[in-house]
Amino acid sequence: MRHWVILDETRGVVVDGERIGVEAQGMGMIDEIYRGYVGNYMKYFKMDSLCKVGFVASELLLAKESGSRDVEQRKCYGTAERAIVLFNESGSLYTDTRYQATISDEENYFPSPALFVYTLANIVTGEIAIRNKYYGETNFLVLPEKNSQAMAVQVSALFADKETQSAIVGWVECDAEEHFEVRMALVGRDDNIENDIKTLIEWKN
Amino acid sequence: MEELIQTLKQQIIEVLNLEGMKPEDIDNDAPLFNEGLGLDSIDALELIVLMEKKYGIKLQDPKAAKDVFQSVRVMAEYIEQHRSK
Repeated sequence: MRHWVILDETRGVVVDGERIGVEAQGMGMIDEIYRGYVGNYMKYFKMDSLCKVGFVASELLLAKESGSRDVEQRKCYGTAERAIVLFNESGSLYTDTRYQATISDEENYFPSPALFVYTLANIVTGEIAIRNKYYGETNFLVLPEKNSQAMAVQVSALFADKETQSAIVGWVECDAEEHFEVRMALVGRDDNIENDIKTLIEWKN
Repeated sequence: MEELIQTLKQQIIEVLNLEGMKPEDIDNDAPLFNEGLGLDSIDALELIVLMEKKYGIKLQDPKAAKDVFQSVRVMAEYIEQHRSK
C-alpha cells in the first residue's frame, strides 16, 4: 500500500497515519478539506455527498503521492496505467431517495436533473478519473459489508490487464447527509493486495 | 425588469450551486454557456426545471431553450412575456 486516507464523521481525517486538523463536522468537514487542500474545482459544489467524500479523499491521496495539489503535476496524470475500484454497502441510495423526493408529489413534480445524474454510485469513480485523466478500468461495486477478501478479488482482477500498474481502491460510503466513511488507498501491481485492504479496512485510531 | 433580473440571478446561483458567486458577478448580457458562466448540459436542464417551477413556463423545444438561455437578460425578457406565475 503506497498511501492511504481515512475520512469519517467520527474519526476525522487521517492521511498515511497522520491526522489532519479540521474544525467543522459532518459534510462541513468535507467542504473544509476541499477549501483548505483542494480548491479551484467548481464542479465539486455540484457533486452529491457520495461523490464529494470520494473525490476529496482521492485528492488527499493523490496530493500525498505527488507532493502537489496541482493536478497536472501529479504522477500518473493522464494515463491508462491507473485503475479505480471502489466499494460500499448502500450504492447511491441516499441520492436515490433525494431524487425520488423530487418526483413523488404529483402537484409538485419537478425531477432534478442535477440529482438524477448522481443516482449511480459509479459516478464517483468517473469523477476521479475525469479529474486526473485516468483512462484505466473503473468500477464501483456494492457489498453487504466490508470484506477484504471479496474486495481483493476484484482489485486483483484489475491487474490481469497488463497495462494496469496501480489502482485507487477502497470503501466509499455515504448513506445519509452526515454519515459517511471513506477508507481509500493507492496500491501497486506488486503489492500484497488482500493484506493491504485488510489493514485499510481494519485500521482504528 | 431589473428586479426580475436580480431575482433570476439569485435563483440561478442557488439552483446551479455556483459557490462563491454573487448576483453582481453575473453580467446581464454575458453568455450563460461556454465562455460565459461555463455552464454545462445538466445545468441547462436545471434551468428548464427552474423556468417551469418558478414561472410556470414549459420549454419543450431544445432549440427554443438554447435561444432563451443566451443571457440572463434574454431569460428575463422571455419570462416577462410568457410567465403564468
